[in-house]
Amino acid sequence: MTLISTLLVSSVILSLPAFASVDSDSSKQDAQQSHQNESHCYVDGLSEQLNCGFITVAENPAKPDGKQIEIHYVVLPGIKNSDHTQAFLAIAGGPGQSAIDNAAGFNRMFSKVRQKRDILLIDQRGTGRSNILNCEGEGFDSALAINEADFDVAEETQACLDKIIDSDVTQYGSLNALNDFEAVRKHLGYQKLHVYGISYGTRMAQLYLRHHPEVLSTVTIDGVVPMQQSVLAIGNAISRAFDLLIKDCNSSSLCGAQFPNLKADLDSVDAKLTIAPVISQVRDPLTGEATQLTMTRAKFMGAIRMALYMPNVRALIPHAISEAAKENYQPIMGLYSLTIDSTGIAMGMHASVICGEDWQRMTAEERESANSTYFGSEMIKTFEQSCAIWNMPAVAADFSAPISSDIPILVLSGELDPATPPSWGELAMEKLTNAQHFIAPYATHGVAHQSCANDLIAELVETGSVKEIDGECLNKDVSRNFYLNASTVEAIPSTEQENQQVKPAAQGASHD
Amino acid sequence: MNKIITMVRKELIDAARDKRSVMAGLYYAIGTPLMMCGMFMLLIGQMSSPEDLNIKIDNADNAPDLIKYLSSQGISHGDSQSTNDEGDKLDVKDIRLVISDDYAAQMAKGMSAEITLIADKSNEKLQNSIRRLERNLQTYSAEMGSLRLIARGIDPRVVQPIKINVEDQATPDSKGGVILGVATMTMIYAVFISGMNLAIDTSAGERERNSLSLLLSHPVSTRSIVLAKVFSVTVFAMLGLLLTLIMSKISYAFVPWQELGFTVNISTDFILLMMLIGLPIAMMAASLQLFVSFMAKTFKEAQSYLTLVLIVPMMLSMAASYNIAPDTLQWLPVSGQQQALIAFIKGREIPMLQLLLSSLTTLIIAAGLTFGMERSLKSEKIVFGL
Repeated sequence: MTLISTLLVSSVILSLPAFASVDSDSSKQDAQQSHQNESHCYVDGLSEQLNCGFITVAENPAKPDGKQIEIHYVVLPGIKNSDHTQAFLAIAGGPGQSAIDNAAGFNRMFSKVRQKRDILLIDQRGTGRSNILNCEGEGFDSALAINEADFDVAEETQACLDKIIDSDVTQYGSLNALNDFEAVRKHLGYQKLHVYGISYGTRMAQLYLRHHPEVLSTVTIDGVVPMQQSVLAIGNAISRAFDLLIKDCNSSSLCGAQFPNLKADLDSVDAKLTIAPVISQVRDPLTGEATQLTMTRAKFMGAIRMALYMPNVRALIPHAISEAAKENYQPIMGLYSLTIDSTGIAMGMHASVICGEDWQRMTAEERESANSTYFGSEMIKTFEQSCAIWNMPAVAADFSAPISSDIPILVLSGELDPATPPSWGELAMEKLTNAQHFIAPYATHGVAHQSCANDLIAELVETGSVKEIDGECLNKDVSRNFYLNASTVEAIPSTEQENQQVKPAAQGASHD
Repeated sequence: MNKIITMVRKELIDAARDKRSVMAGLYYAIGTPLMMCGMFMLLIGQMSSPEDLNIKIDNADNAPDLIKYLSSQGISHGDSQSTNDEGDKLDVKDIRLVISDDYAAQMAKGMSAEITLIADKSNEKLQNSIRRLERNLQTYSAEMGSLRLIARGIDPRVVQPIKINVEDQATPDSKGGVILGVATMTMIYAVFISGMNLAIDTSAGERERNSLSLLLSHPVSTRSIVLAKVFSVTVFAMLGLLLTLIMSKISYAFVPWQELGFTVNISTDFILLMMLIGLPIAMMAASLQLFVSFMAKTFKEAQSYLTLVLIVPMMLSMAASYNIAPDTLQWLPVSGQQQALIAFIKGREIPMLQLLLSSLTTLIIAAGLTFGMERSLKSEKIVFGL
């Protein structure tokens, strides 16, 4: 078992990739970067040749002669690019996701931007190819069978720390990473950047605004974690997203009629699993082998939480809850299996960021508020133990100050976001004088890949001005119908029997 | 040598006075790149699918979620009477999507629900739109398939036993090279076209004006006269080529290549290489055109002969552009050089041996024709056009 197993309920997961950092005194690093590897390469999901490379930086900027780590980057070259002094930097979330691993998604999302500008992706230190601090170990086989309550966070955290003993985990916070980003920018010779940060990446984008505003042309923050906010307060956002799901289903004529007791079903399963997990024999979702499924509250709530991130998967939740209330945990197991190894979060780096930047600044009040929700209290419990071991120095108090800037900034929030609610976007706006905040009514976490917001970003990058941007297209109804049984999202014809016979129609299935 | 230079200058001054020759070269050098650009722009516009694709959807009520999904991808129903927000008529593509009557019933049972796509796939204006529609339908179907599996507690990855990773070795330059390959043909053509009028004028034309015999009676060798004529036509051809290249460089920058996912860029390196490779071709073209014109009895006849004779190098060039029999063509004059140019554009290694050999052949042909001309000018039949 690994720290990953705790991810479902107790990690912050600001999903998706985007992270950019710049730091003020990177002059020292410049000297060291003299001549570094650059080559053509391919990344997952893209068939074209890209330009890859890395720079070498000191792990600890205070010890320039100490351990060196490589910071890898990929450039998706602009298609009609005459201006090589600008790039569009996309910063991944997590914290702990690799921007390069998500290159295909960024490429699709920002195809318009790429027509004229290079897209720069950097694996933030501790993620992807840049000295990843990964706690993944053996033991995924038992993911279905484990009872998370038996999980000893302290012991696992210590095991993880021992595994990455070569690295000084205290050096993997956002500010050091910002220095790396800025070093990469200088290395590649870009004078100006358009920065896009998603999720945790919005923190990096805001730090860029704070420390290196002179190199920024425009900034987009999508699924915003405002500087004033500890991400550990996410518990309320998750509860809010659960409530919105119930509300959505109830207000839809089809879903409301099919699952009239959704809220009661959710509560009853939750209550039942809180008392004791339900153990059953199942077929492993992937291998088909017989295995034991220990359906715990953590798995149940965690699977639903993760499904809330993706609008298309979200559509299955009411059916899954209703089945669970009838003791059929297959749909929940299906949703759970999606999350087992697909989050791509480097848990070591995740802990470095959260413990240094979010854990210690939580006030007693905030802790109390977080403890009032299931997810919040689980997170508090986990990080209380793991941060004690991780031993990150706290960031300075002014880290939490609101960002003030007059650079054109586009702020994007999804109404249904289970991680960063629109109110957080509002909070980030506090001292931004040249910004617009759009709330996409049908989007969850990461508005740019779920709506026309990527076009708005292209417009911002093209015109360099945020005030004329019209967010009307975000209101177009792109919501999806809820699944009414295990097969359909369309109204079930009345001539059909209520209980549907389900035959698997195995067609090409891909999930993204 | 000095004499030749003097005579070249005389020929060029003569040619410059003849506005028709100059204009003929200019028309081609300026007109062709512009025409090519216009054509490409039109093609790109026609081929790309509009951002908002309007098609006809029958029985839309049977599949509201699918319709909503397609609409989120910019594909929606429109009929010929529909108008957009500004009241303009919608551009509705001739594509029909028919949703079957039992769509919802089949779906509910976990079966395959039928949709029929009706369109003329031979209509290239529709092809991109059809592909886009098919792709979106497949994505929707795959996504539903995945969720059906998840609902049954099965990981959707099990129905994707093979994951195909494609590593495309094309570079951004080589993708544009397909287009530029066709463009090189028009550039090589420039070498032949730009000097043609001058070639006729200075040979058949000079004879018609009765100044050829006068020229030959001067105390200069026939060889010098012939060489001077070849050089001056060559200079004209090269000027035409240079102008074509510069015009292309400027005008191609305005074509929205990026919509096709690549760019076409005429680099300075390419211009220099083209000029270098173009020189032997220009000399061959000049000697060929002069030779044929001298053979003709009148100006008019020369024009018609040349048109016929020029078909040969043009066919070679065209064959090289469309990659017909590349193994043979790479050794031949014109096509050999053009293939080297295309290789350069695509960022491949230039086949040096083939390039040298075909250039050498080109020069030998040029020298042979020049020598032939020199000999024929000693015949009265030729000099007086008898």
